Amino acid sequence: MNTVLALSGVVIKEMCRRKDFYVLFVLTAVITLVMGSVNFFGDAKIVRYLKDICLLLIWISALVIAITTTARQIPAERESRTIFPLLAKPVSRGQVILGKFLGCWLACGMALLVFYVFFGVISGSREHEWPFLQYFQAFWLQWTMLGVVVGMVLLGSVVFTAPSSNATILFIVVVGIIALGRHLNQVALQQPEPLGTLVYAVYFLIPHLEWYDVRDLVIYNQHQLGWLDCGLATVYAAAYVAMLLFATGMVFRRKSLNL
Amino acid sequence: MRKPAPYFILVLLAAVCFSVATYLEPRVADWNKRGQSGSVLKLLLGDGRRLFANHFFVKADVSFHSGYYPSIFDQRKAPKGSRHMTAKEGEPEEEEHERQMNFLDQPKDWIERFGRHFMVTEHTHLQGGDEREILPWLRVSADLDPQRVDTYTVAAYWLRDLGKVKEAEDFLHEGLRNNPNSYEILFELGRLYYQNYHDIVRARNVWELALRKWFGQESGKKEADLLQFEQIAVNLGRLEEQAGNYERSVALLELARKASPNPAALQLQIDDLKQKIVVRPPPASSTSR
Amino acid sequence: MMDAIVELKNLRVEFKAQNSGQGRKVAVKDLNLRVEAGEVFGFLGPNGAGKTTTMNVLLGFVNATSGSAFLFGVNVCEPIARQRIGYLPEMTYYYKFLTAEELLRFYARIFGLSRLEADRRIDQLLKLVELESVRKRPIKTYSKGMQQRVGLAQALINNPDLLILDEPTSGLDPIGRMKVREIIQRLKSEGKTIFFSSHELGEVETVCDRVAIINQGELKAEGRVVDLVEKHQANLEKIFLKIIGYEPQVSA
Ligand SMILES: Nc1ncnc2c1ncn2[C@@H]1O[C@H](COP(=O)(O)OP(=O)(O)OP(=O)(O)O)[C@@H](O)[C@H]1O
Ligand SMILES: [Mg+2]
Repeated sequence: MNTVLALSGVVIKEMCRRKDFYVLFVLTAVITLVMGSVNFFGDAKIVRYLKDICLLLIWISALVIAITTTARQIPAERESRTIFPLLAKPVSRGQVILGKFLGCWLACGMALLVFYVFFGVISGSREHEWPFLQYFQAFWLQWTMLGVVVGMVLLGSVVFTAPSSNATILFIVVVGIIALGRHLNQVALQQPEPLGTLVYAVYFLIPHLEWYDVRDLVIYNQHQLGWLDCGLATVYAAAYVAMLLFATGMVFRRKSLNL
Repeated sequence: MRKPAPYFILVLLAAVCFSVATYLEPRVADWNKRGQSGSVLKLLLGDGRRLFANHFFVKADVSFHSGYYPSIFDQRKAPKGSRHMTAKEGEPEEEEHERQMNFLDQPKDWIERFGRHFMVTEHTHLQGGDEREILPWLRVSADLDPQRVDTYTVAAYWLRDLGKVKEAEDFLHEGLRNNPNSYEILFELGRLYYQNYHDIVRARNVWELALRKWFGQESGKKEADLLQFEQIAVNLGRLEEQAGNYERSVALLELARKASPNPAALQLQIDDLKQKIVVRPPPASSTSR
Repeated sequence: MMDAIVELKNLRVEFKAQNSGQGRKVAVKDLNLRVEAGEVFGFLGPNGAGKTTTMNVLLGFVNATSGSAFLFGVNVCEPIARQRIGYLPEMTYYYKFLTAEELLRFYARIFGLSRLEADRRIDQLLKLVELESVRKRPIKTYSKGMQQRVGLAQALINNPDLLILDEPTSGLDPIGRMKVREIIQRLKSEGKTIFFSSHELGEVETVCDRVAIINQGELKAEGRVVDLVEKHQANLEKIFLKIIGYEPQVSA
């Protein structure tokens, strides 16, 4: 465990010292503030469009951070050969995977927290209320979802050779699931038979990341989620993460380290 | 020979770029029409901006329903047009709309059932001043596609509802500048004069103009916009009734009756008015065209 | 008989031929080797002889095609076999965004050193490789020789009983080389075992107890340096050239 934590510490340090996060955060903040300063028919109470834009930017940024950070981890270790002195230590390849996962996930969580604090300040300054628990739920669910994304990208990074193609493919897949995953069963029913079953199987197989997108509930001041539902969603994500990490470990164990 | 300093070369190249740009500018402007329009957005997006405008208009509708909205997969059930956005409870559009918005069937499997917990599943409309939240999207939509008429009418409707009559008037004027022939905008402007300013003269002028525009554009058409025509005629009829011009009012309501899906109710009103004419003969100045 | 620290039994490593696509490239051919405790063992051979490949097997990076390899009597497949070794790779960049100190602390944590112990060792090692003045600078600002020194420091972080060094002196200045020699000698006096490859035959001659010379994956000679010198009546360089079959073009 100590080894895994040490490995994740390196990933977090890397993220802190790279510019990606700061660039995305500043971009989000600037766009939000500019949009916030626009005057719509002289009504200062209008706020939801701002929450909408801010959350959209947060979602995009978080996905970009999670995917790019994770996608380069293992290829970079191999390319710069840092994997050799590392594996010469009493570290198993499984621990490397676990450490990388934990590091990326924690790093994403930290970045996400900063984003959400900003969001809270912006929306709170307009609405004069802080539904803290709801924001926390939204944060938690998004973070959980990012765990699954990190797991997927990690698996991708040992399967695909080029980190950039891995990142692109996974980005499309993740956005695709978030946008369409909900409706695949409906699509399946409209297909002719062999295809319909196939689509339905895909529907049951993919991690349903769209659940974790509760932006609408936050933007439109809807009901708070049940904690049980949050818990179940967390368990569901954890199961997928475990499966993805296991698969990653299996592939990585067989992989030759030489380029 | 001394080499020129790199900065000197940089400045030289910048000067070349500048002069080429100034030389080409007038020519390029003729290459396509886009260059002439002042709007940066128009220039950047070209005709694609219509699509974006539509997106933001729908976004306003989504916002109006607090995120409860059919997706592209429920497209056949999606609300058509924008009338429901300004319909009050109990009106026929509203009932039709209620049926359309019942798009969430029984969940087909546990994934769908569980997923429902994380989304808005109730059909509600914004109320109590929250309607203002749809305005930014309408504003953006209008900027992207100034020729889209219902953006102006819907926005003006809610602006008036929120007590922002001046803003509504300005926005409708903006809409008219972009769409000088829109009877829809003229009708909405008339409502503003009539209901908010109680300015009968201006309301009458605007509505009369709206009627003329309607005849100019729609009368020959197969699928003419009868609903809007009826609304204009009825409203103008009521105005004339209030002003005491019963005959003109009857004529307008007769017109409306022909276009109405529910002519019986209008017939009752017409009969009512005719009686009033009998009881009290019209004043001499009633021939306001 | 005592357990050998490093033991190779009929080790054979083949790679898929990368260019032509036909046949397989044999990098190590049925290699048998024993390194006893407390020895300094030099592993020599021309470029492409298979030295690095052999070491990669010992560290578990490459799987043997056939035969087996043991460290401290434990098969190299087990990660625990690497608890007591230090390894300096032939060519490495370390995490460039970390400072030398952070890098060493990271590795110390992997070995489970306590914080206090880690601090003590890090101070000691940075002094040893003379990087004290730059310990708080990110590694990306280091020169090649400085990076090599970081590598040496990380190899020693766990106070290993066996050191596997792949060309430890490449890229170092003369003072650095001398330092490495000193370090090797000191570790030997502490009873550690050192297994290293090098192309600096003079250096090998001064520090090694025993050497093995391989060529094209095959063991050509093995023995105590003094015995070899005695047997061939020449210095190590001459012996090396002779064994790998290089005939000087112009003989004196
Ligand atoms: N991943 C690989 N795929 C294919 N062939 C390889 C691979 N790694 C090494 N080889 C081949 O195996 C042989 C031995 O290589 P190795 O790196 O062990 O040489 P070396 O003795 O360390 O040489 P040097 O003194 O240059 O470091 C070489 O012919 C090399 O081309
Ligand atoms: Mg080598």
